[in-house]
Amino acid sequence: MIVLKWLFLTISPCDAAEPWQLGFQDAATPIMQGIIDLHHDIFFFLILILVFVLWILVRALWHFHYKENAIPQRIVHGTTIEILWTIFPSLILMFIAIPSFALLYSMDEVVVDPAITIKAIGHQWYWTYEYSDYNSSDEQSLTFDSYMIPEEDLELGQLRLLEVDNRVVVPAKTHLRIIVTSADVLHSWAVPSLGVKCDAVPGRLNQISILVQREGVYYGQCSEICGTNHAFMPIVVEAVSRKDYGSWVSNQLIPQTGEA
Amino acid sequence: MAGHKVGHATLKGPSVVKELVIGLALGLAAGGLWKMHHWNEQRKTRAFYDLLERGEISVVHPEE
Repeated sequence: MIVLKWLFLTISPCDAAEPWQLGFQDAATPIMQGIIDLHHDIFFFLILILVFVLWILVRALWHFHYKENAIPQRIVHGTTIEILWTIFPSLILMFIAIPSFALLYSMDEVVVDPAITIKAIGHQWYWTYEYSDYNSSDEQSLTFDSYMIPEEDLELGQLRLLEVDNRVVVPAKTHLRIIVTSADVLHSWAVPSLGVKCDAVPGRLNQISILVQREGVYYGQCSEICGTNHAFMPIVVEAVSRKDYGSWVSNQLIPQTGEA
Repeated sequence: MAGHKVGHATLKGPSVVKELVIGLALGLAAGGLWKMHHWNEQRKTRAFYDLLERGEISVVHPEE
């Protein structure tokens, strides 16, 4: 029980930006986990190089201080060391490139048969979401706008500049396809926890595939300058169980079928 | 030219190879510490998802 509490308390998911945050938000998709792992792989080499260069720098300053070393050497060549400091960086680059390309190509894999397709359409300054897989009797797909909740309307515990009136509800552990476009200017649909950032370009449909691994609420913000309220059109994705998702879809569609 | 030792008029001078080896060892040690941190994070994440899968923990607040 203590172990469970320790694990849970130390890994309470961070799925929104936090003040003074230094690292990534916790991953909720395999893509984001891959990005974090790649960052860790590269950071190993960064630390190695940093410590090595700092050591050499400090030692050079120590050994060749003008009081200790009044007569400077005039070294013009060092074939062995020049070969070494060419080969080692090339090897490091190779070790970085391998996992990097592996992740890049795996991110480009398109899921052939996603369970659900959702369209995210950027406007100035809000998002519209369409769930066209469920057409009600009058052929209107499930569509809604998602506006930021202004600061004066926030309830206690809600996040400033991040909350919206209508969230994108999706089922967890299900392959999703998100098609991103824009109705006016460039926007970008970005949710850090999901490892997603996709430009919304007018006249173009961009596609991304995601698989949310755990239920939760994931926050993001528009990531392409789009005018005066660019900072005030956030994105909130709520991943729920499949059962709850089915109930939500039914509830959304009922008023529409009622009117038909 | 002698790349291994830097000569002085009166002193022995530092060994370049020794400094490079020590620097590399320190770099690898520091990198190793980071790797240990990374593996620990991966273990905690794997344990979290295992517990979630088995139903021993939940990320959903129980409804009152």
